[in-house]
Amino acid sequence: MKRWHWISLGILTIISIIVELTMVSETEHGTHWWSVIPLFYILFGFVGCVVIVFFSKAIGKIFLQKKEDYYDTL
Amino acid sequence: MIPYELMIPPAFVMIIGALLLPVLPKFFRSIWFLIVSLLTLVILWNLPVGSFHNIPFLRHNLVLTQSDALSRVFGAIFALIAFIGGIYSFHVKDVKHQIAALLYGGSALGITFAGDLITLFIYWELMAISSSYLIWARKTKESEKAGMRYLIVHLFGGSLLLAGILLHIDQTNSILITQIPQNYSLASWLILIGVCLNAAVPPLHAWLSDAYPKATVTGAVFLSAFTTKAAVYVLVRMFAGWEVLLWFGVAMALYGVVFAVLANDIREILAYHIISQVGYMVAGVGIGTIMSLNGTTAHAFSHILYKALLFMGAGVVLQTTGKSKLTELGGLYKNQQLTFWLYMIGAFSISGFPLFNGFISKSIIVGAAGESQLDWAFLLLTLASIGTFYCLGLKIPKFTWFDGEKNVKSTKLPLNMHIGMAFAAGLCFIFGVAPSLLYRYLPFPLQYEPYTASHLVETVQLLIFTFVGFWLLKRIAGGEQRITLDTDWIYRRLAKPIWNIIVIPVDKFFSHTDVIMMGVVKLLVWTTKNPMQLFNPSLKNISYNPDRQRTTTQVIISLILLCMVFLGIVGLWYLK
Repeated sequence: MKRWHWISLGILTIISIIVELTMVSETEHGTHWWSVIPLFYILFGFVGCVVIVFFSKAIGKIFLQKKEDYYDTL
Repeated sequence: MIPYELMIPPAFVMIIGALLLPVLPKFFRSIWFLIVSLLTLVILWNLPVGSFHNIPFLRHNLVLTQSDALSRVFGAIFALIAFIGGIYSFHVKDVKHQIAALLYGGSALGITFAGDLITLFIYWELMAISSSYLIWARKTKESEKAGMRYLIVHLFGGSLLLAGILLHIDQTNSILITQIPQNYSLASWLILIGVCLNAAVPPLHAWLSDAYPKATVTGAVFLSAFTTKAAVYVLVRMFAGWEVLLWFGVAMALYGVVFAVLANDIREILAYHIISQVGYMVAGVGIGTIMSLNGTTAHAFSHILYKALLFMGAGVVLQTTGKSKLTELGGLYKNQQLTFWLYMIGAFSISGFPLFNGFISKSIIVGAAGESQLDWAFLLLTLASIGTFYCLGLKIPKFTWFDGEKNVKSTKLPLNMHIGMAFAAGLCFIFGVAPSLLYRYLPFPLQYEPYTASHLVETVQLLIFTFVGFWLLKRIAGGEQRITLDTDWIYRRLAKPIWNIIVIPVDKFFSHTDVIMMGVVKLLVWTTKNPMQLFNPSLKNISYNPDRQRTTTQVIISLILLCMVFLGIVGLWYLK
C-alpha cells in the first residue's frame, strides 16, 4: 500500500460521510434501530472484521485445526 | 419461436451432445462442447411457458419439461456457464472429462425443467454420478478418495430424497412438483433434507469443501455452478417460506466465512464461500416474500458467474504453479497481471462492490430481510459479507499475488483460459452496471433500485473499514499449514472406530459360526459312516456292513422312534 492509496481511501470515506449527512434522508436510511447511529457502517465494517478474524482463529486454535497429515495417520 | 414439434427438452440436447462426443474427431470435440451449450441456451430461452413432453409412467404422467420464468432464469445461467466453462476448458482433450461436464450440465438443466418428482430424481442421481468424475479425473490419490466420499454422500442424500418422494406420492397421489405447505411431515422432511444436502446446508455440507478443492482445474468451475444452485432452484420451487430455511441460511452464510478464514488452500476458501453465498439464497427462500425469492434467483444468477470466475482464477494459479496453498504461494503479480485483475473482478463482485453484479443481487435478499423486520438476519448477513470481502478480496489476493513466497515459478497458460475468464468478468460487470438486464427476467415483478445514495454510502463505508481491519490484522491473516476439521470428520475419522465396533464383531461372529458349522458337518459325516458305532464303541473305525448290521440298526432306531412317539403322547397329555 502506497501513501496515495491510503489518501484516496480517506477521501472516499470523507465523501461518503458528507453524502450520508447531507443527501440521505431519514426514510431512505431505513427505520431500523441502527439507522440513527451516525457512521454505523464504518464501525460495523471494522468491528465485524476484527470479530470474525479473532472468533475464527480462536475456535480454529482450540478445536478445529490439526496437522495436515491428520487423516493419513490412522 | 421454435415450432412445438421441433422442441426437445433442453436437458436432452446436452445429454445427446455429450453422448455424441466420443464419435466426433478429436479436434472438433471442444468446439462441439461450445455449440451444444449455445444451442441449449437458445432452445431453453425460446421455450414457451407451460408443460410439455408428458410420458405415461405407471399410474402417473411424467412431465419432462415444465417451463416458466423461474426455470428459464436458472436454465439460462446453467447453459451460459457451461459455455463459459467450455471456453475455459477448451484445451482439455480428455473426452471422458468433456462427457462428464456436459452430462453434468444436462442433468442440472433436467432438474430445472423437470415437472415431476420422478424425473427430478433421475436427473438428481445422474448429476451426482457425472460430477464425481470431475473430481476423479484429477488422478491423485487424494482426489480418488475424496471423489468416492463425495459420491457416497450424494447417493445417501439421493436415497433420502427418493424415500421422501415415494412417501409424498403415497400421501398426495401426485408426482407433480409443487410448493409444499410448511407442515413438517416425514415426507417433506426427507425431501427437504435430501435437497439441503445438495445445497450444502451445514451439517450436511462437508462433501463440498472436501471434494471441490481436489477436483480438476476445469472441473471445479462446473462443480461450483451446478449442484448447489440446482438445489437452490428446487428449494425455491418447493419450500418457499419455510422458516427453518431462514435460520439455516443465515447460519451457513456465517459458517462458510469462519471456515474460509481458517482455510489455507485457495480453492478450499472459494468452496467455503460457495456455502456462505448459498446461505444468502437459502435465507431468501426462508423469508419467502416476493422480493426475497427474486433476490434468491438473482443472487444465484450472479453467484454462478462470479464464483466460476473466481474458480477459474484459482485454477490458473494451480495450473501454472502446481500449487494452491497460500503458504506456498506469493509474488505472482509480476507474471500474472491479467489473471490477477480478472480474478479481482470476481472478488469485487462477490464482495458486493458497486458496479459489479454481487452488489445488485445480494442486496435484494438483505433488503428483503430488512423489509420483513428481520433485523437480526439483516445484520448477520451483512456481517457475513464483511467476511467475504476479507477472505476473497483481501486474503487470497495478498498472499497469492503479492506477499509470501517470492520465488514461485509459473508456466505459460493456454490462451482460452484467459478468454473464459474475460467472458465471465465482462458479464459480472455488465449485469452490475445494468441490473435491469437481469431484473426484467426474474420470476416476479421487482421494484428495486440498488443504486441509491444510502446503499452506496453503506457499502463504501463497510468495505473501506473491513479493509482497514484486515490491514491491521494482516500478520495473522495469512494461511497456516494446517487443515481444519469439519463435519466430514464424522465419516473420515470415526469410520475406523465404528468399523471396529460394528463390522469386526459381526465378522468374527460369522467366522465362528462357520467353524462350528464345519464341526457339526464333520460329526455328521463321521456318524453316517457307521451309525452303529454310536451304540457299540467296539465297532469304531469299522465301516458299515449292510448284511451284518442292518437288523440291529433297524431295531435300535425303531426303539428310539417308539420312545419318541411315547414321549410325544405323554407330552400332549400334559399339555392338554
